[in-house]
Formats: sequence, C-alpha cells, structure tokens
Amino acid sequence: MGKVSQDYTIDELMVVTLAHAFTDDDIMLNGTVSYIPVSAFMLARETHAPKMTWVAGAVGVDADPGYIIGNTLDPTMWKNCVMYLPQLGDMWGYVHRNTLEIFCIRGAQIDQYGNVNNSIIGKDYHKPKVRLPGSAGMGDMCTLHKRIYIWSTTHNPRTFVEKVDFLAAPGYLSGGDARAKLGLRNGPEIVVTDLCVMDFEPTSKRMRLKSVHHGVTPKEVQQETGFELLIPADVPETPGPSVEEVELLRKKIDPKNMRKLEFRGSKTKV
Amino acid sequence: MAARKENKVISAAQAVAMIRDGDTIAIQGMGTQMSPLALVREIIRAGKRDLKAAMVVGGIGLDWLIAAGCVSKVMAIIVNLDEFGMANAFRRAVEAGQVTMEEYTEHQMFTRFSAGAYGLPFMVTQSGLGSAVVDLHPDTTKVIECPFTGQKVIACRALVPDVCILHAHRADALGNVQFFPKPIWGDVDVFPRASNKVIVTVEEIVDTEEIRRTPERTGLPYFKVDAVVHVPYGAHPCSLFPNYNFDRCVMEHYAAESRTQEGAKVFLEKYVLGPKNQAEYLQAVGGAEALLRIKSFWS
Repeated sequence: MGKVSQDYTIDELMVVTLAHAFTDDDIMLNGTVSYIPVSAFMLARETHAPKMTWVAGAVGVDADPGYIIGNTLDPTMWKNCVMYLPQLGDMWGYVHRNTLEIFCIRGAQIDQYGNVNNSIIGKDYHKPKVRLPGSAGMGDMCTLHKRIYIWSTTHNPRTFVEKVDFLAAPGYLSGGDARAKLGLRNGPEIVVTDLCVMDFEPTSKRMRLKSVHHGVTPKEVQQETGFELLIPADVPETPGPSVEEVELLRKKIDPKNMRKLEFRGSKTKV
Repeated sequence: MAARKENKVISAAQAVAMIRDGDTIAIQGMGTQMSPLALVREIIRAGKRDLKAAMVVGGIGLDWLIAAGCVSKVMAIIVNLDEFGMANAFRRAVEAGQVTMEEYTEHQMFTRFSAGAYGLPFMVTQSGLGSAVVDLHPDTTKVIECPFTGQKVIACRALVPDVCILHAHRADALGNVQFFPKPIWGDVDVFPRASNKVIVTVEEIVDTEEIRRTPERTGLPYFKVDAVVHVPYGAHPCSLFPNYNFDRCVMEHYAAESRTQEGAKVFLEKYVLGPKNQAEYLQAVGGAEALLRIKSFWS
C-alpha cells in the first residue's frame, strides 16, 4: 500500500475508501454525475484490481479515457473501449441476469435501512414541497439484486433521515428480512460519506458506524444523522489513502478535479 | 404514409404541423446528448399545447418546452440538466401543479416502449419491485405473478406515442436513418419503433447509394419514417457524438437564467422564440464562435 498521505482531502479519502471495496472480479457500471465512484473504479484498476472491468457510462466496455474529461455519462468517457454496449437488449439483459451486479448510488434522502429517495420532498408525492430530478437508474438497480454502494457528500440530518419521503430505491425496506422476503437479493453494502463509513448490522439491517474519518468523533456523526445509528464500542479511524493513490488521483485520473464538483452544497470543504 | 419509398424531406415547420395539441410525443435525449432540439424550438414557436412528453432522461429541451407552457405531463425516469443541475422550469411547474410527473424506473419505461414496439398489450420487468414507483401509476404498471413459477414481476402497459422526434447523423431522402455508432441508447432504438409517426432531423442528407454502401450504419429503415428534416447542428446545445460536443456556455447560461421564471422567459424570447429558424438560432448563440466552442470533445 505504501506510505500514508499526510495531505489528503475528504474527496480523496472517499474515492480511495470506495476503491478498496472493489476487486478484480467486479464489473462496474456508472450513472450520471458520479465523479467519486468513477474515480474509484479508475483508481482500483490502476492499483489493486487491474483485472476489474468498468463499463463507462453503462456503454463503453473496459473503456480507458485516460482521465475524467467531463460528465461521467458523456461519450468522452467511452474512449478506447472494446464495445459500445447497446442499452436495451444487452445492458439491461446483463443487469437482469446479474452479470452486472454492482451499482453506486446517492440521493437527497437516505434512511437507516439504506432506502434512498431522489424524487420529492414532502408528504404527498403528487403535491411535493420540492420536486427533485427523479430516481433514474437507482429504482432499477436497487430492485434488481445489486450490491449497492451508497456515497454522500452531505452527511447531515437533512440527508440522513428517519424515513424517506418517497421510497424510490429500496435498501433493506423496513429492516430485518423485509428485503429478502420480497425476493430481492443483495442490497446496500456500505455508505461512504464526508464524515465516516457505515455498514449494515446483519440481523436488523440497521445502519452501523464502521469507521470515522480523521478528526471526526462518533458523537459528531450521530449529531449529523437524523436517526439512531448503531455505534460499536470501538470505532476505528478510516484508513488514510497512500501517497501513491493520492498522486494517481490528482495527476492522472482526475487532474481537472471533477470529483470536487460533488461537494457543492456540502459543509465539507475540499 | 411512412411505408412508401418516396422523398420525405420537408421543412421543420411542416414537420411540426404533424404534431397535434394533446399528442403523446416521444423525445430522444440524454442530459447533454443527442436530442432533437431544433425541432423542440420549432414546437415552441408553433405554440403547441398539452403535449405529453415521454422520455427516458428529460433535459434542457424538456425544460424549455415546460417553460414555454407546451407540456402538461411528463413520463420519464429523471429530469435534470446533468452536471448543470436542476431543471428549474420542470421543478417549478410540478411544484405548482401545472405539470404532472409520471415517474418510472428506466427499465419500466423501456418495457412500456418495447411492448408498444411489439404491438403487445404489456411486457414484464423485475425492475422496481419493492419501490414506491410501481404504486404511482396502477393503470400502467402492476405487480403480477409469473404463470409458470409464481415469481413476482411487473407488468408494464404498452406505450404507443403519437409522434416520435429524433436527431441523427444522416439519412437519405427516403428516410433511411444512420447513426454513428449504431443505436446504443435505448431511446433511439425503441422510441421510433413504438410510435405511430416518426420525424427525424439530420445533420446531413446523403444519396441512397451512400446508404446502400454502408447499411451496417442504418438504425431505422425508411418504412418507419414519416419525415426527414435537414438541420445541421440540430442537437445544439446538446452534443451529437462524435460530430460535436455540447455547448457548455449555453447550458450554463440557461441553468443560471432559469433559476427564475422571468429568467427562463427572457432566455426563451432571446434564443428560441426570437430566432425564426436554425440559422438565426445559431447566430443568436454566438454564430461561428459557438460552432468553434463545440468542435472538440477532448479538452
């Protein structure tokens, strides 16, 4: 792994933490405005997982654009791919068959069971207080047996809520075996935020603190979370990225700092 | 009329006359890519009303249509301006109850179109089981059981739009439409096949002989196409890969202006309602300078 970086920023820590979750056997897909996951896939491929596959923008199979040029769904990301994957027959077929088994999501609201909402804020879907863009591919991926990795650059009580206003993308639903009972396999694995990393307690499926980023305490995380978080007695610090990982990210993978765009509206300064 | 092997080249204004108030209209497009925006501008100039827009990803074109009061209902999976943020006219109109948003998962949307394209009453998907999205529209998506295994699946009712509008790389006068690369996006693939009428705008009109030399590039045959309109830069300010990039300058300008209803109106006046045609539009957004801006993908 090499020497730990002394000057990393939170965006870099989030990218590296996500990257470490993926292996040579994984096939990664990405959606729109997903700079942090795409940076993570490219970094994993450059470091510990050279045989990993990334289908850029769900189209460019094993693409290698060199660096993040623009939006993660843009055709520029397909550069040097081996195939343009037709969406209707091929991509959605592989997704249904679970050949493509992993997806990264984020949203305006995330609850304690990893259910995510990016559709509306308010009590009545049809008369929303705020109309958000919509669930897009999340509604698909969370119901088609994917292993879900959630990321959020706004760890606060507005994002991490007791109950989502609209259940667009099911995590573990009401917890326990609720998801499995519906016949949905897999589900949320981890949640990487600007404050910490969380996972899900295996029986209750409640969100649980796994590690806190440097300088953050479990108490602070709880204060910024709108539901009661499971907090083990011993919460380690999130391992910092190596000097090599930070260099790769800054100089090779994302020299235009596109990943920092995701922190608009976040209290965390990057 | 589509079936005939005859010249189908008409003007944008003539093509838009084929769209009636109240029609369900399938509009190709991603947030910043491949959308028939010259035709969208023509629809706005023609003052169409009560359109039901069926899309996968609603972007700047849909937001213009909504800001101009042309749309009463949206069927889509997401509506935004991609990296440029919220689609503000859409957000305001839904919050004010002026436009209905019928939200689907992506594969539910494609399954509705696919059933339409096959002429079947419905087709099934597993996408969205357990999501509240399914319960939003019981008249178009319903959980049913597989008659063989009992497994729960979602029946998605066929969607047959009145009109489909597309922008493509080139076509001949008969309506053999070519894309590069050949259709990879689901909307280009299934929207026209599901729709009753198909209008295609193209960057270039070529001889049928050229089509016969390169049939592997043809994504849509003449017998499914009703009208061909020649509109260079017809996707602007969206991109048409690999011909030209999206126009960051115009996207950013609209994203900023549309934060207020007044701002969106001023933008529409200046860039959509003011210019009478594509040439005047391109002039308004910067002329040669605008074309230079979108020349490269790799900067």
